[in-house]
Amino acid sequence: MSKKPKLLWLQSLTCNGNSHSFFNHSDLFSILSHFELIHFPLIDTKYTLEDVLNKRVNCDILIIEGSIKHGLEKCGVDIATLIDYYANEAKYIITAGTCATFGGMFKEYDSDNINGFAFDRDKAIDNFSKFRKKLISLPGCPIHPKWLSYVLLMIANKKNIPLDDKNRPQELYSITVHTGCVRNEYFEWKIDTHGFGHKEGCSFYENGCQGPFTRGSCNKILWNDVSSKTIIGTPCFGCTEPDFPKERLFFTKTNMGIPQKMPLEVPKRAYLTITGVAKSFNIKRLERKLIEYNNDN
Amino acid sequence: MIIKKLIEKVEGEANLSFEFKDGKISNVDIIFNIYRGIEEILKGKPTRDALVITPRVCGICNHAHLIASVRAIEDGLKNNSLEFTLTQKAKDIREFTLACELIQNHIKWLYLTIYPYLERLLKIERSDNHTLKASYIANTITKAMAIFAGQWPHSSYAVVGGVTCDPTYLDTIQSLSHIEDAIRFYEKVVIGMNLDDYLAIESISNLDKLGGDFAKLLYLLGKNEFAKIGKSFDRFISFSDSHISKKAKSIITTVSAVELKFVKEYKQKDSFAKGVKYKNRYFEVGPLARAMINKEPIVKSLHKKYKDATLTRVYARVHEVALLLKQTKEILQNLDVTQESCVLDSKIDINNITGIGTVEAARGSLIHKLEVENSLIKSYDIITPTQWNLSNNAVAAKAMIGLDSEDIASFVFRTFDVCSVCTTH
Repeated sequence: MSKKPKLLWLQSLTCNGNSHSFFNHSDLFSILSHFELIHFPLIDTKYTLEDVLNKRVNCDILIIEGSIKHGLEKCGVDIATLIDYYANEAKYIITAGTCATFGGMFKEYDSDNINGFAFDRDKAIDNFSKFRKKLISLPGCPIHPKWLSYVLLMIANKKNIPLDDKNRPQELYSITVHTGCVRNEYFEWKIDTHGFGHKEGCSFYENGCQGPFTRGSCNKILWNDVSSKTIIGTPCFGCTEPDFPKERLFFTKTNMGIPQKMPLEVPKRAYLTITGVAKSFNIKRLERKLIEYNNDN
Repeated sequence: MIIKKLIEKVEGEANLSFEFKDGKISNVDIIFNIYRGIEEILKGKPTRDALVITPRVCGICNHAHLIASVRAIEDGLKNNSLEFTLTQKAKDIREFTLACELIQNHIKWLYLTIYPYLERLLKIERSDNHTLKASYIANTITKAMAIFAGQWPHSSYAVVGGVTCDPTYLDTIQSLSHIEDAIRFYEKVVIGMNLDDYLAIESISNLDKLGGDFAKLLYLLGKNEFAKIGKSFDRFISFSDSHISKKAKSIITTVSAVELKFVKEYKQKDSFAKGVKYKNRYFEVGPLARAMINKEPIVKSLHKKYKDATLTRVYARVHEVALLLKQTKEILQNLDVTQESCVLDSKIDINNITGIGTVEAARGSLIHKLEVENSLIKSYDIITPTQWNLSNNAVAAKAMIGLDSEDIASFVFRTFDVCSVCTTH
């Protein structure tokens, strides 16, 4: 008999994006080698989904993907009740993705009946007090594969994971998506990107980038090991936050030309002062194209 | 007699209910029962938000939804006489990332669905390496793609008028290395021969050169009657022009034009998935449909001998990977990074439009239709490829009727590359 922790991945109301995101992990097999995989939506194991639905398996770590919808059934089995059953049995519960954590995108359809496992948006619900000692929240739409592997390997190595007030790992969510963005120089000097499709400029001022007030390490631990939304000029949509998705995602709401929502915990006065000073310098290098492909030398 | 089966690991689950008469399947009901209401969620949202919402229809073909969505909005703007043309660069980058998504999809299907279930069905020795192979390609190809799209899954980098990225040659060269890795894998592991030599094969008589997992798969399928079973309507359709397809239909190998206005959805009893027909007839979509419409020589050669049997259908999907790999390499080698990435102002109003966007997704034609009134989405309609193939009485059902075992039928069902989350959305 294997003494490795038993890993069970259960899906509720989901697009499968978290499963596929995790499957992209470059070290998938070395990570999985620490566990006995009971069920994962993409990988064949010795158990079938029917075994899982009929409570014929055990688990030490429960990973939940998707929002919890009351009354949702698979083959006559109530999924919320089934998740509750395995949650009671597990030593650790990981809510993988914003849907499982806060309700996410699909909560928009039927807000009263669809929630995260332990949160209704930013509000803790019963499961939070019931399971808080073994709960780890991993919001993100989808989860970053390396955020999940960090949590799994910390568990496998019997290490304590420092968590914040929503049980998110501090090592992943104490910084913002802005941290490490390659456009930071443009943010420092308050230079907009002027539309889409430019290497130059920051997307915070006009294009709706939520990086400065969204918790997550997308620009510290890159996506697919190579890039991120903000690097390639797509705004951060705040997909790790309890209120994802907000509206008008490609526009920055402004007040007299200044973004309405400030970088996390930055007072508006401080921001305005810095902005005024930074903008007054008109730095030519940052106003120019970075690369001139058409010069002849 | 009725036998019910839960089909799992098909991007969610499907419930099949087989009705047997005289030992043979006489009817199959295909039931998908998880509904997320994406079209409802889109109602009342600002138009551009669709580019963030629609990818969440599906974890494996999210990118196809993004491209269909941006095309629908662009079509609507053009219908309102806004004149603009995407740069070749923006078009190429979109085609590139789309092709990458198809490649990971087809390879995952080959190694995570087809091989494991065929081995189980035939009770032959099972290989542990399938998952490893699928993981290698998924990882490699999504790297190549994320250099342009920022991430996979759930990128929203295609915006109205182009793309948000402005790549350098540093980016294209790095991406090309990943594509070359994927090509090397396909050559060494999947086809056991050089890609260009493989693509030069035009008839079954030259298929003896084929090696690798593909040759082994064809051998197993041929030996076990899959060259004879799984036949369906032999009618194919595609709604998007691309490297691998044309907007057309193929009936008894005659290719002719199609018009979107003849596509009609209808409600199905006991299922959240809607059915869809063209001029009141069922059509197959997907790699086999694209190859038949595009008159791909080797697929036509197989079709001539085996018609639309399971073997031909499986062949077309693995073969399409070769076409896509060659396409991705050529796009990167020729990409002119000096052109504009996006030709439209990011703030242009999208007030009152009606538009349709089509794209060839891994499983076939994907159609997005939207109506915008006073800058908000009034209605949004998504017709997914699996609705064409997997509705009751439609293509997959017909392919299973007449078989004498629900296990064999379930395998035939899987060869359509089922996507449960897309079907219901």
